[in-house]
Amino acid sequence: MKPSPAIAFLGPATCVVLALLIAPLALLARDSLNKYDPTELMIQAVTPANYLRFFTDSFYWDVMRTTILVAVLVTILCLALGMPLAYRLARTASRWKSVLMLLVILPLFIGSTVRTVGWMILFAQQGVLDSLAHTFLGRRVDLMYTPAAVVIGTLSVNLPFMVLTLQSVFEGIDTRLEEAAQGLGAEPARAFWRIVWPLALPGIGIATILSFILGMNAYATPVLLGGPRFQMMAPLLFWEFNTNSNWPFSAALAFILMATTLILTTLANMLIPRRYRA
Amino acid sequence: MHDISRRGILTGILAAPALIRSARAEETFVLGTWGGDYQRLQLENIELPLVRPLGIQSVVDAGDEPPRVGKILATRRLPRGPMDVACVQAVQGYALAEAGVLEELTVEKIPNLAHVKQGLATPTFAPHIWSPQIVSYSPERVSTPPVSFGDLLDPKYNGKVGFPDGNFFYVMMAAALYAGGSANDFDKAKEVMTKVNANGLRLYPSTDAGGPPFKTGEIDIGVMWLARISMWQNAGIPVAAAFPKEGCILYVSGMVIPKNAPNKEAAFKYINAMLDPAAQLGFAEHMGYLPTVTNAPLTGKVAQQLALPDPAPKLVTPDFAYTTRIQPEIADWWKKSIQHS
Repeated sequence: MKPSPAIAFLGPATCVVLALLIAPLALLARDSLNKYDPTELMIQAVTPANYLRFFTDSFYWDVMRTTILVAVLVTILCLALGMPLAYRLARTASRWKSVLMLLVILPLFIGSTVRTVGWMILFAQQGVLDSLAHTFLGRRVDLMYTPAAVVIGTLSVNLPFMVLTLQSVFEGIDTRLEEAAQGLGAEPARAFWRIVWPLALPGIGIATILSFILGMNAYATPVLLGGPRFQMMAPLLFWEFNTNSNWPFSAALAFILMATTLILTTLANMLIPRRYRA
Repeated sequence: MHDISRRGILTGILAAPALIRSARAEETFVLGTWGGDYQRLQLENIELPLVRPLGIQSVVDAGDEPPRVGKILATRRLPRGPMDVACVQAVQGYALAEAGVLEELTVEKIPNLAHVKQGLATPTFAPHIWSPQIVSYSPERVSTPPVSFGDLLDPKYNGKVGFPDGNFFYVMMAAALYAGGSANDFDKAKEVMTKVNANGLRLYPSTDAGGPPFKTGEIDIGVMWLARISMWQNAGIPVAAAFPKEGCILYVSGMVIPKNAPNKEAAFKYINAMLDPAAQLGFAEHMGYLPTVTNAPLTGKVAQQLALPDPAPKLVTPDFAYTTRIQPEIADWWKKSIQHS
């Protein structure tokens, strides 16, 4: 039997994925089983020591817990703030719609690190917020290097992704379905809940997963807004790689972070009823 | 009109590499260095005035020190390494020498090594700049200047103590010197740092972020290099330096050449230029670091700003053989006991 031409077309893409994704991951997996040595850097070995070090030390569990908490909180806030905005954008017939869309996309034009520097100016002692609070309320607001600063900063990074994903999901749902529901006596809120929500659920799931993954892997925001005392997995991984030059342990941390993200997103996906899954 | 023959085109293609080589007037070498001000000053004070006239030009590999060290170690078995000159702190310079990956530097190869101050160089490390670690304080809010590292424990500075997190290892050595009389007494250092931490220690994510808090009133006291104090003063930050009576840990930064450097001759010439008095004075003037050579005396405002007190403070060079071994353990302790508390 002759192979289908479609399969032949998949060849180049498969090769690129294998070369650029699978191969480095395989290398990382191999390194994570090596031993660390301060002068030799890495000693070839096959040892689970790096993984055991993570699972037997409560410090690393704490860092993982903080990471998951931040990612979950940011995702919930993204959903709460992003969904009404996305729905409104999808349903508006205003001639300003393209301008409003541009406003949502605009933050993505700036790198997340540069945006974080903006937040630093806002949050710093004697910064914009602090000065305003001091002038009008007579009290100081010091948000810099706090968990709240990290959550706000990460939210600002993730929100456009959430809004853009949800907006296209709502655009794809025929407005006549809602009109029909309302024509049959349903209140707008009930029509949304019974008609739009189930239809949008697969898309909402994807947007949630996207935000959650971004939150789990946040690096610049926790480092710059959280400071050295606020520890999340990506900065911790970089500390081990950069400060300690402990490549085997940082490779193990990378795998643990990837696996945790994968497991949690799979579990979250299972919460969506099977008939609504993407 | 001339016809272009196929043979002519082929000859042109074959000759192109030779033409490109001859058009490239300068020989290149790879310089692994920090970015920012340091890299700019290297260009302005070393490369442009002293190295380019020799027909040599650098290709800069800018980044943090640990990845640079990692690169040298990871490529140690390759015949051609990725770098010709690597800028490293003395602590890392020693660690690389221990790993046996560095070229020996001699006066025959680098004539200006003859002028290097005693105790700063090693057989494989050429010191570029040095600065004593001091107690930094706000002259506006601290009426009596601090006298030792122990001032960081004073309850009157509760919540007003701070320094950049990246300096943690040098701060630990200062704490060891204060509490145990030796920069190697890390058990005592851990006890003292735990108390400093309990006194409301603030940690900043970068060296640059450690200066503005003195201006905003966020902190009143900390630990820093004398060089940074002069840079911050020049930037209008009200901060002053106090030399701790127990002694100052020396920060020494310099350059090394990996054994597998592809262009060692250019590397020797670059390091020789780095030790030239004009280049050394340029760094003192613009970055506040002290010259590592004896033939570059400071004068004027720079001499005043960087003057060591009289009587001269005790200057303590880290025990590099020990720091190489202990650093990973201290980094782990710092991460868990200071950052995470």
